[in-house]
Amino acid sequence: MAELLGIQIIGILFGFFLMYYTFLHYKRKEFTVKEYGFWLVLWAVFLIITLFPGLLDPILKSLSIARALDFFIIIGFLFLVGMIFYTYTIVRKNQKKLEEVVRNIAVKRK
Amino acid sequence: MKINNIWAVIPAYNEEKTIAGIIKETKRHIDKIIVVDDGSKDNTSKAAKESNVLVLRHVVNLGKGAALKTGCDFAIKNNAKIIVALDADAQHDPREIPKFLENIKNNDIVFGYRKLNKNMPLILKFGNWFINKTINFLYGVNIKDSQCGYRAFTSKAYKKIRWNASDYSMESEMIAKTGRYNLRYKEVPIQTIYSDKYKGTTILDGVKIVLNMILWRFIKNG
Repeated sequence: MAELLGIQIIGILFGFFLMYYTFLHYKRKEFTVKEYGFWLVLWAVFLIITLFPGLLDPILKSLSIARALDFFIIIGFLFLVGMIFYTYTIVRKNQKKLEEVVRNIAVKRK
Repeated sequence: MKINNIWAVIPAYNEEKTIAGIIKETKRHIDKIIVVDDGSKDNTSKAAKESNVLVLRHVVNLGKGAALKTGCDFAIKNNAKIIVALDADAQHDPREIPKFLENIKNNDIVFGYRKLNKNMPLILKFGNWFINKTINFLYGVNIKDSQCGYRAFTSKAYKKIRWNASDYSMESEMIAKTGRYNLRYKEVPIQTIYSDKYKGTTILDGVKIVLNMILWRFIKNG
């Protein structure tokens, strides 16, 4: 626990920063209540696990992972890969929509 | 056999200096001309309109593939039977249009190929050779110049080769689909002038094209 303290502090600051950022998005009306709730709960879970990594022990044992930090890295990596793929699909979708809109405008304004 | 309803589609991006000359020369061979101004920052649209041709303008720059598709879709909606695609930067000489029209009579698609030219940058020579070989290996289409945009195709062929790519990889996608749908094709030699070495397909584009071709072969249904 003691040797993880430095990382825990970074994790806690990170979690609070993202909570604040989520709150800002909600206040600017860029997030719906649902989205706000989802991200807030996610950051809260992140903070709890950062403060009490022992809560993860049963999961670590069942997955044969030695340290909580390794678990975080694996989950983080999977999350990033998933996010990249998700972002790619959104970008492609928007690219096609943009192309259609630009094409329609071009034909209408001829 | 006389072919009716021939359209020329000229995608253009910042080509105010050359577009009028291209249109003037193209008009000698084809009456119906569409210029697609792909969000140019200069006066390309104005220069084209002064030449009394139809101008479609993209409000933002989307890429050559998207611009050509806008023009071809419009031509097809207006009952085009044959479409000739050529660049606006004076790389393609419109005086060679009759060669394309002669050869399209017995083919679905006619590809122009640039004769080996000492002015062609070495990196382009290698890139083109590599892409040609990849296309031959993956799709069985033996093309001398996969990156030459001077082409003619029938409306029927267009419906099959209608590309998804919005950038320069549309030229390879067109060939890939020619192979996939067993379209009849022919190549005709053309002269090419290299006016601007910073335009056209870059090394990165080349890498993207090869990766896309592998994807189209094994993953995409296109």
